[in-house]
Amino acid sequence: MNHLPRSLQARVILRSFLVQGSWNYETLLGTGFAFTMLPVLRYLYPEDGAALRAAVARHTTVFNCHPYLATVALGAVTRLETEAVDPSMVERFKSALRSSLGSLGDQLVWGAWRPASALLGVVLVLTGLAWWVGVLVFLVVYNLLHLGLRIWGWRVGTHSGLEVGRALRDLPLQPLARRTADVGAVLGGAALVLAAAPAAPDPDGLAVVALAAALGFLLGSRTRKLFAGVVGAVWILAIFSGWIR
Amino acid sequence: MRELILGAPVTVVWLALFGGWTAIDSTSAGQVMISRPFAAATLAGWIAGDPVAGVVVGIVLEAFHLCILPVGAARNPEAGPASVVAGASYALAPHQPSVLLMAVAFALAWEWVSGESVRQVRQVNVRLVARDPEPRSRTIERRHLLAVLIDFARGVLLVVVGFVLLSLLLHLSIPRWGLGERIPHLVLGAVVVGLFASTLRFFGTRVKLFLAGAVVGLLLLRLHP
Repeated sequence: MNHLPRSLQARVILRSFLVQGSWNYETLLGTGFAFTMLPVLRYLYPEDGAALRAAVARHTTVFNCHPYLATVALGAVTRLETEAVDPSMVERFKSALRSSLGSLGDQLVWGAWRPASALLGVVLVLTGLAWWVGVLVFLVVYNLLHLGLRIWGWRVGTHSGLEVGRALRDLPLQPLARRTADVGAVLGGAALVLAAAPAAPDPDGLAVVALAAALGFLLGSRTRKLFAGVVGAVWILAIFSGWIR
Repeated sequence: MRELILGAPVTVVWLALFGGWTAIDSTSAGQVMISRPFAAATLAGWIAGDPVAGVVVGIVLEAFHLCILPVGAARNPEAGPASVVAGASYALAPHQPSVLLMAVAFALAWEWVSGESVRQVRQVNVRLVARDPEPRSRTIERRHLLAVLIDFARGVLLVVVGFVLLSLLLHLSIPRWGLGERIPHLVLGAVVVGLFASTLRFFGTRVKLFLAGAVVGLLLLRLHP
């Protein structure tokens, strides 16, 4: 893959930030995949309009994966295109790759890294640090992995080609997700205590906060709907109460 | 509360543009997480002149979003533009727990409107990019970028409409609020604590680590009471 100009590779990585730009219910991020691949396709088929058009059509078909790991697929497919691998094999390869890239990214990024980074920022603000410190730390920590995954994904994809599945298995992404969830759990506990202190200044408050914490432990992700309803109900009740007075 | 809480026109323009950015950040472009409530509400509060008010809204809304997994085509609320509306409105309004509660409640409802608009834009994208069997490369580029632009415009619209709606609701509700300030303070505090507690299950029931975190929290409270 060394023969691809660096500027072209950089353009593909930059375009990958828009890979979900035209996400839709028919081809999912298929068009985005073709949009991101276009610099490579134009480089490979500079004079041949028909071949370019056929290549573009091949890559606008259904595709989906985690957006940050799309560069893994883009890199691997770029390698297959440069090696002039049979298009039907490229298509099979893409469909084999998409579910594993989706679940890996969901587990690591959405399921662990993002909530842990957000909790880190929140905990910093709750401990009394300036608002901008919390927000900056959240964005920097989160994007260290984000940007790292995009660049690493392109490298591993272009380097491994059809062997990218093995390369993914060898990398410690799942252990990283587990360790991040460990850190997230610690930050969750710290955030709970730091938020409870100002919310429960007296025994009545402490009882309400303890009840809410117990509900949170019991209900897990279902807590959100219940508490959103409570917040809305208090608004309605307050207006009704003001009106009857 | 005789006047609507709208801020200067130039502030609204900046908020609308920032709202557009948060809309595309959530899916279409970048995904650097400027659209997360913690960042979006805080920065909206900063644009409106009070980032500390923004960060308060951001922490409450972030607590509501910690356990949401945006997997596949699942129907999820979209936090970015709603957080901008709530963060900026609270920054411009009187800083009372009742106003904070109303801003949060509105954002939680507006997120679903925002999420529905995402689904509509995705249907538009089907007609825009997915129905051409042999697209030209230039056409692909043009339509793909147009889809991003449409998404940006959606965010701008959501922020402007949401901002006016919430201003109107605050204008009507603040004089009629009949529960004092202790109840909304307690409710919001309890809700945030409950939502942080729910992360225990989200991270796979790591009880010992969660308790260790709680001890760390207690130590931090001792250091910075």
